[in-house]
Amino acid sequence: MKRVISIALSLAMALTAMTGCAQQTATNAQSQPAASEAVSQAAQSAPAEKVTVKLGIWPEDNLKEDIKMHEGFVKTFATTHPNVTIEPDYYKYAVDTFVSLAESGKLPTVFESWYTEPKKLIDGDFVADITDELKECNWPLDSINPIVSQLLTRDGHVYGVPRDGYSLGLMVNVALFKEAGLVNADGTPQYPKTWDELAVTAQKIKQKTGQAGLCLLGKDGAGGWHFSNIAWGFGATLVTEDNGKFVSHLNSPEAVAAMNYVKDLKWKYDCLTADPTSEDWASGFVELGTGSAAMLIGANDAVNQPTQVNGLPVGDLALEPVPAGPKGQYSLAGGTPYMFAKNATKEEIKAALDYIEIMGKSPKATEDTINGIKADAENHKNSGVPVIPRFPAWTDKKLLDAEDQIIKQYSNVNMNLYNDYYKAINTPGNLRLEEPGDAQNMYSELAKVIQACVTNKNADVQKLMDTAQANFQKILDTQVNKK
Amino acid sequence: MNRDKFKKTATAWLIMAPSLILFAFFVWEPLLESIRLSLYTAKGIRLQAFVGLGNYFSVFQQPDFLPAILNTVSYTIWSLIIGFFILIIIAVLVTETVHLKSFFRMGVYFPNIMPGMAAVMMWGFLLKPGKLGVLNIIFSWIGIQPLNWLTNPLWTIPLIVATLTWKNAGTTALIYMAAVDSINPELYEAAAIDGARTWARIRYITIPHIFGLGKTLLILQIISVFQILYEPLVLTNGGPNNASISIMQLVFKYAFQDFNYPGAAALSVIICFILVILTAVYFKVTKFKEADGGAN
Repeated sequence: MKRVISIALSLAMALTAMTGCAQQTATNAQSQPAASEAVSQAAQSAPAEKVTVKLGIWPEDNLKEDIKMHEGFVKTFATTHPNVTIEPDYYKYAVDTFVSLAESGKLPTVFESWYTEPKKLIDGDFVADITDELKECNWPLDSINPIVSQLLTRDGHVYGVPRDGYSLGLMVNVALFKEAGLVNADGTPQYPKTWDELAVTAQKIKQKTGQAGLCLLGKDGAGGWHFSNIAWGFGATLVTEDNGKFVSHLNSPEAVAAMNYVKDLKWKYDCLTADPTSEDWASGFVELGTGSAAMLIGANDAVNQPTQVNGLPVGDLALEPVPAGPKGQYSLAGGTPYMFAKNATKEEIKAALDYIEIMGKSPKATEDTINGIKADAENHKNSGVPVIPRFPAWTDKKLLDAEDQIIKQYSNVNMNLYNDYYKAINTPGNLRLEEPGDAQNMYSELAKVIQACVTNKNADVQKLMDTAQANFQKILDTQVNKK
Repeated sequence: MNRDKFKKTATAWLIMAPSLILFAFFVWEPLLESIRLSLYTAKGIRLQAFVGLGNYFSVFQQPDFLPAILNTVSYTIWSLIIGFFILIIIAVLVTETVHLKSFFRMGVYFPNIMPGMAAVMMWGFLLKPGKLGVLNIIFSWIGIQPLNWLTNPLWTIPLIVATLTWKNAGTTALIYMAAVDSINPELYEAAAIDGARTWARIRYITIPHIFGLGKTLLILQIISVFQILYEPLVLTNGGPNNASISIMQLVFKYAFQDFNYPGAAALSVIICFILVILTAVYFKVTKFKEADGGAN
């Protein structure tokens, strides 16, 4: 009897273990007819084939106003695309979830990525080549801003379209400047024009308000990203290309001088937040938005972060030019792309492009695009986000003029808080792209040096930069130059 | 004959079947797949070309490899300094306690019921440098200047290990407490009659009885701490200047930041290799312990 019971129990256990698989099989089996039906329906109703577009660019649940705006876009879209089903599939790009989604074919049709990612995504064959679809949708490929185009194109093939571009500037918490008595008669902040002025201004603010003058990022690669912009002002070029091989210059006298400056911000001027090694892109905006830091290197495409996300009143934010160094003034420029799942069909990609057009992010000055730009501006205004000119991702004049008009119409900020920034980035020679080769690993190496400089008063900057140089050149030689 | 043997073993096999199936799917297959992946180049996890040990050489050459290995050894050593003997002391003290014994037991185990990430983030707030860190605020009441805590490279690893010990001490301490409780009380009574004081009782009765258990738990602790990942990842991101980067964090970086899965697989196999050696030691130690038990 015991034997019978034990056999029965073990069989039950074995069956339980397999239940997961069995359930899956059953589900698959059930869904099979539905899928076949859909295929046959699509075949019957061709050419108006049933298409489902999964929108990874749908707003996240808590952004009610943004969702309302997208629901409006969907209505407009449905009038011209009755055969297309739009499926909200919010996906915030994250490196630790991306590959699993891509490899299992579960990526949304279109998703937003970061400025740093296209190279990796194209190399890994994770994203679709959309050159043909762009041509069929009459998107003028030659009108992508060349700065952004370089990020999204490989051997003449296009792998994404820009949401918008960005150019680094100096974000300023005007309220803290006021508290420190650093404002002009018209209410604009007396922002620093050079890095030396920045150190002194930041020090004054910390002494007068008790809050940090500057939030320096040091937790991860974002610190190196900002540092490269500082280093250019000191005359450094961090990477050069020689016959297709990349050569690093992280320990050049100019780069070392820039790093010494960063070290001084901590030990000579003591104007930083309590722990720069814990500050990253997101925490920087928290510090600025909540009034714990008066300045932060930031870009025009992130003005919603201190305001909408972290509660800074819209009139208390200013965006000024990156301070100049002894060897010039530069702004690092890049772009944020929309990219498409590798397994998306031609029709899905074309429908997604049409949706982007309705969102107002296409290069064509059509009525849909202009309405989309208007809806976006109105939404920004309602959400307390500064309505300011975008960094143009497209160069079509008609579109840019229409956009200018809309920005003026919905303006909710004193443009004197932004004009110097736009003047600077429109100065010829001001914009520079990320250093070539392997910018991400370079940023990581630089971040380590920043961490050492802000945690050790006696850090030997030259020695640290020599190590960073040796490390990064080794990475270039073993991972990039050998290809 | 064979039929009889089958009858005898059929139930055993059936009982083992679910475990075998689950192990095959979730342990052995991924393990073998990792080894295979480490020998190829790949796009995502799609294998491209066989490169033999190329990924291993590449991993060894990376500048972060050496600091990560050295730090991991440092984590392990500090975990033994901070997190091994203290638990035995706690277990013995709690067992020797006469009043509020259950309260202290619960107190020791309490951090274990906190979600790991919440505990790490809480320590992040406590150890924040500058005037806004919770511990620094408390210390300022008695006139101590703000300390740098995790941003001091010399303190980073010991502090992370201290948070780790605080979080995980409960389980191990409970095992020791159970072992101490299981000691025959007549031994203590006899010792007391002979005039042995508390220290003598601990020295001559308690410690010899939990010695074998301690040897086993020591090896298990080494294996566990060798794979430390999320504590440094969340508290310091491996910094400052690689002062706390662990080998598992490097695996995480290769896989999830660089999408270099073959590199991550190669590094995992290296860790596995090191841990297999440690496990062999573990087996030897437990065998020794069994022999001890037999002798008793």
